[in-house]
Amino acid sequence: MGMSFEPSKEELFELIVESSIDFAIFTTDSEGMTTSWNVGAERLFGYAENEMLGCSADVIFTQEDRAAGAPGKERSAALWKGRGADERWHQRKDGSRFWASGLMMPLRARNAGLVKITRDRTEQHQAGERLRENEERFRLLATSVPQLVFLTRPDGDRTWPSPQWIDFTGLSFDASLGLGWLDAVHPDDREATQSAWHEAHLTGEYYIEHRVRRAADGEYLWHQTRAKPLQGQSGVLSDWVGTMTDINDLRGLQNRQNVLMAELQHRTRNLLSVVQSIANQTIRSSSSLEGFGTQFGSRLRALSRVQSLLARVEDQVIDLHALVTAELAAHSEGDVTSSKIKVGGPAVALPPTAAQALGLALHELATNAVKYGALAQPTGRLEVTWELKAKKPTAEIALEWRESGVSMRAIGSPKRKGYGSELIERALPYQLGAKTRLEFGPDGARCAIVVPVSKESTYG
Amino acid sequence: MAESRPESLRGRRLLVVEDEYLIAADLTASLESLGVEVIGPAASVDEALFLVETNGGRLDGAVLDINLRDERVYPVADVLTARGVPFIFTTGYDAIALPNSYAGAPRCEKPVDKAQLVRWLSDPVSRK
Repeated sequence: MGMSFEPSKEELFELIVESSIDFAIFTTDSEGMTTSWNVGAERLFGYAENEMLGCSADVIFTQEDRAAGAPGKERSAALWKGRGADERWHQRKDGSRFWASGLMMPLRARNAGLVKITRDRTEQHQAGERLRENEERFRLLATSVPQLVFLTRPDGDRTWPSPQWIDFTGLSFDASLGLGWLDAVHPDDREATQSAWHEAHLTGEYYIEHRVRRAADGEYLWHQTRAKPLQGQSGVLSDWVGTMTDINDLRGLQNRQNVLMAELQHRTRNLLSVVQSIANQTIRSSSSLEGFGTQFGSRLRALSRVQSLLARVEDQVIDLHALVTAELAAHSEGDVTSSKIKVGGPAVALPPTAAQALGLALHELATNAVKYGALAQPTGRLEVTWELKAKKPTAEIALEWRESGVSMRAIGSPKRKGYGSELIERALPYQLGAKTRLEFGPDGARCAIVVPVSKESTYG
Repeated sequence: MAESRPESLRGRRLLVVEDEYLIAADLTASLESLGVEVIGPAASVDEALFLVETNGGRLDGAVLDINLRDERVYPVADVLTARGVPFIFTTGYDAIALPNSYAGAPRCEKPVDKAQLVRWLSDPVSRK
């Protein structure tokens, strides 16, 4: 009964072909002459059935492909291999192009010709192209920046390490995948590195500073590692992209800065204590407030000269020549090169404490010379010279302060041993382990100071 | 200044460790003016240890500058602790990281407030 209602295979086939308006389905003979052309083909290519029947179907190929013999190659692939892939730009009747994706196959009876089924995949093709371009851009960026770039799952499971990472850590691509990359992180930093992911899920950004081993020398360098989820992806297992930036030098500088700040504070507080002590000592030896003011001010200026010399040099050492010259200049109206004064000796670098103690001692000698000695009398001469003596265990600076042409009778010998004598005879030995001798000869004051210095304190 | 009771320092033997001569000399002069017998001053750990050793049983207290030239004064503090001699640190760092064993040790910051120092030296036990 029902047999008469069952459609024939041919009828079914025709129905499918005719209703497939999104698919272009057409047949040709083995030479490419069109033998059938469905509605989908009309829609897709813009040619009506009656325009195409008996004509070459090659018109749907672009000019370049036709010139390259693409239609013939596709037909022979279909005939001899059973199928010819059709993934290329095609051309409509109006000349516009679209990306076709389809197949050409032989009809069962070989001499019956070929069938081609294809459709417009332009959008998908272009999306794929854009994706490839984006991936290419990412790879270009990821492989050309100095940072170590990576792709990761949001639990630290790495899916892609950049070539820079491989170069830096010496871990291969495969060895870096998963949690393998942790091998290059300092063992003490691994736990923090992994637990930072908890924070990352709350803030949406992964951040850690940790040490990463450099393959070249095995040294661990501080890196700042950040990662963010890739845009447009959400969900627990989406990919994150991360960078690792070398901040080792930066951290070194920060540490150095902290050390310097602490050192600066120590020096400042110590300097204030020294000022306090100088004030107290000056009070003890002053008979009037006026006298105190003059002396204290003069001593503070000497201290300040040493400080300004210190501030000018980067490595916090003072050249002895600069120290002597600055002190003498302050007492001879700036004219250190006058015939009265001679200064000379090799270059010697003094550490701050030695510079301060010596500076204050030289100040007292110079003050004395201006009041009673070589710088007070027209015939007076002053020589300040020093030598560097290589001695064991440490080298020594032997400095000599020699005044001459001074009539001691004119002034009489100094009334009492003052602050200068205390600095030279007690402070320098106490503070610098110096040996000193101060005497007032018949033609002026003489002072010998021998200071042991560490090897680093000497130039060259 | 009844509170500072400077007369109570008379005859005390106090060790002074300070590497900066001017500070050491000033502190020594101040203490001596209060009748203190100053042991030192010492500019280094070695000198200080020598003075502790030679004055062994006869030290009543000490003022210790933490930062000496290239060293810290802690070995001296260790010996004084072992001998039960009270001491006070002086320092230029306000937040210096003291070793754990001295975290609670008394200290005064530079420049030293002498009145405060003298108050402590007069009665180190109750002020510790």
